[in-house]
Amino acid sequence: MRFRKKQKQNPEISTASMPDIVFLLLFFFMVTATIDKSQDQLKLEIPQAQAITKIQKKFLIRELHVGFPKNPNLGTSPRISASDRIIDISDLGNWVQAQKTDLGEAYQDQMIVMLKADIDVDMGLIGDIQVELRKHNARKVLFRTLEDI
Amino acid sequence: MIKFKRPRLQPQVSAGSMADIAFLLLIFFLVATKFIEDRGLLTQLPPNVPPTDVQIKERNLFKIRINSKNQFMVENEIRADLEGLSAEIKEFVLNPNNDPGLAETPEKAIISIKAQRGAKYSYFINALDLTKEAYYQIYGARVGLSSVEYRHLNRDNPIENQKYLEGKEGLPMKISIAEPDKVSQL
Repeated sequence: MRFRKKQKQNPEISTASMPDIVFLLLFFFMVTATIDKSQDQLKLEIPQAQAITKIQKKFLIRELHVGFPKNPNLGTSPRISASDRIIDISDLGNWVQAQKTDLGEAYQDQMIVMLKADIDVDMGLIGDIQVELRKHNARKVLFRTLEDI
Repeated sequence: MIKFKRPRLQPQVSAGSMADIAFLLLIFFLVATKFIEDRGLLTQLPPNVPPTDVQIKERNLFKIRINSKNQFMVENEIRADLEGLSAEIKEFVLNPNNDPGLAETPEKAIISIKAQRGAKYSYFINALDLTKEAYYQIYGARVGLSSVEYRHLNRDNPIENQKYLEGKEGLPMKISIAEPDKVSQL
């Protein structure tokens, strides 16, 4: 009986700390994750591969998408999308420079361009992108692939 | 006023619903976010200098070509698919029987992948993947691991990092990804 009395006096101890725990989790996810935004303009079907490796320094990765526009007004040929905007191949150099500035002096040369391209994209365009990247000294390219199961 | 200040009522805002709100937010972020994707086939492009005329012995060069009709040609042989390519590359690089047609030494071996304009990206990735797979099998075999085990070595762990370095030591992955010919565009 004594115990029951005590419980009645102070029944909310356990629930009070609960939001803190959940908020901690929440902040963890807010910090570690980025909002997915750029998937809506291009059709992207990522190829599969086996010999996949993982990048250790994730902050070096900058994404470049190549796919077919979903909006028919943009034509049917594959387009490049960088930082959520559709760009022409001639603008690629500027984009690379902007990303390098963003990375800072120390890591500029280690920038990894993640090329996320649709399986049906013409190799000609991929080759042109490679030429541009070489011109602007962004020579680490990660061909994004999904694990082949 | 006295009615509201009854001592039996505790003046706390119920914290129980706070957890529900936080959970809702948590679920929203769980659904709306993605982790940075970091897996794929990493390659290093050559520096942007005018091509130099380096003589490479034919026997050290393993050529994979993909034409605009998505047909493969491996070592001047037309192929319908790339089945068994990993095994062939392994044979070529290691050259266990000292075949004069294969690479002189493993370090000198170069795998050249070239896709013409019009070739599909997926075919190119397929060729690149099989090439890298062959190398990872070689690396893995040197430290007694399978290709998958080798690729999943955790480099933050000193013992595993040691194995990783041992596996690839002195045997660089020389994969040349040439740009599609400009000529075939015209």
